[in-house]
Amino acid sequence: MAGASDEVLIRRVAESGDGRAMSELYDRYGGLVHGAGMRYLGDRGLAEDLVQDVFFAVWRSAAGFDPSRASFSTWMHRVTRNRATDLARRRRARVRTVAPTSPLPEPGEGDVAEEILRGFEVVGVLSALSPAHREVLVLAYFGGLSQREISTHTDTPLGTVKSRTTAALRAARKHLLDERREDDPKARGPEDG
Amino acid sequence: MGRRDHGADHRQTRELLGPYVLGALEPGEEREVERHLEACAGCRKEERGLRETHERLAGAAVAGAAAPPHLKDRVLAALPPQEGQALPVGESERTRLLRLVAPVAAALLVAVALAAYYGGIFGPAETAALKPTGLAPGAGGEVEIERAPAATEAELEVWGLPQTGPNEYYELWFGREEGRVSAGTFTVDDEGHGRLSTACPKVAAGDYHRVGVTLERFPEEPRRDAAKVVLGGELQGS
Repeated sequence: MAGASDEVLIRRVAESGDGRAMSELYDRYGGLVHGAGMRYLGDRGLAEDLVQDVFFAVWRSAAGFDPSRASFSTWMHRVTRNRATDLARRRRARVRTVAPTSPLPEPGEGDVAEEILRGFEVVGVLSALSPAHREVLVLAYFGGLSQREISTHTDTPLGTVKSRTTAALRAARKHLLDERREDDPKARGPEDG
Repeated sequence: MGRRDHGADHRQTRELLGPYVLGALEPGEEREVERHLEACAGCRKEERGLRETHERLAGAAVAGAAAPPHLKDRVLAALPPQEGQALPVGESERTRLLRLVAPVAAALLVAVALAAYYGGIFGPAETAALKPTGLAPGAGGEVEIERAPAATEAELEVWGLPQTGPNEYYELWFGREEGRVSAGTFTVDDEGHGRLSTACPKVAAGDYHRVGVTLERFPEEPRRDAAKVVLGGELQGS
């Protein structure tokens, strides 16, 4: 299950209500959605409400996901942004008589929104890598394991882990550059060929 | 340094650039890589590219590291079971147990739902086809609502709606003679398509049969007497 792409997982959710696939999608995106909630809404309880809302929407709307129109990470980001907008509006309605201590960013706009979008893009790119490449990057970045610990954890020689880490970063870079080109054809730089 | 030595260094450095940008090399290896980088423009360029990717991965890891551990079980346990389908799997024993008994639970849920339906606990689903107003010609939508005292839910799908501008959003309303209640807000994608799944407990008890979608703009408060209705319809029992 951990080796499947996001698009395969959401199709399993849509076709058979596959709980394991849903659990795996939560593992990949739950933290990002919660992080987006904290940045947009500034409240731990509302951030948890956002996670609940987003995964409820994913569960109920999985059949409506069309991979020919957008990647899963893009769709997931859109669902998160829309739900955050909804919660932000309700939060303002509830607390409008109280002056906020600091302004919060509008979901979908500004540097914070860009940063959050990039987080979703990265997780989407990880999903598109080979299982071996995804594993080594997830263990290094999201699991916080050293190269030696990854070697032990995966029963792989340390030298192989090191070269695989490089190859995985190279593959991730290629996917990120491809995505950037798809988003903006003018973004092609001289080093991108 | 001879050509052969440079070639061996070059190959080795290119293999180690990943853990190098992660700061995960042994001190001796790191010094070797840095020595080669000083002399090799190609590897320096490769290192810059990998470092940029490393920074994006590290940023995503930080952004995604904040979810409290208990939240996964809570979120997955709250998802409504679907007929004949297993519940999502959390990490706790309780959730694992739920998964193991899911087929039995699903069958029981179907039986309970059928009994409840025929026993009159839940009302039948009602649907409304939403027609466009002059503000959104060509748009359309459907809404389905299932009334129950504890869990009235509405499912809305719209298409062909104009994209919202900054601070604009669409709002779903259920109406009756005495007034209307909001059932949630949403925006649409680049093609004017949008979905909303929402709980609307106030609708359960009232005789709300009209459905409308309005275009709203923050920070203005929605006003019934100045509503920009883009879609409307009447709920019909199924």
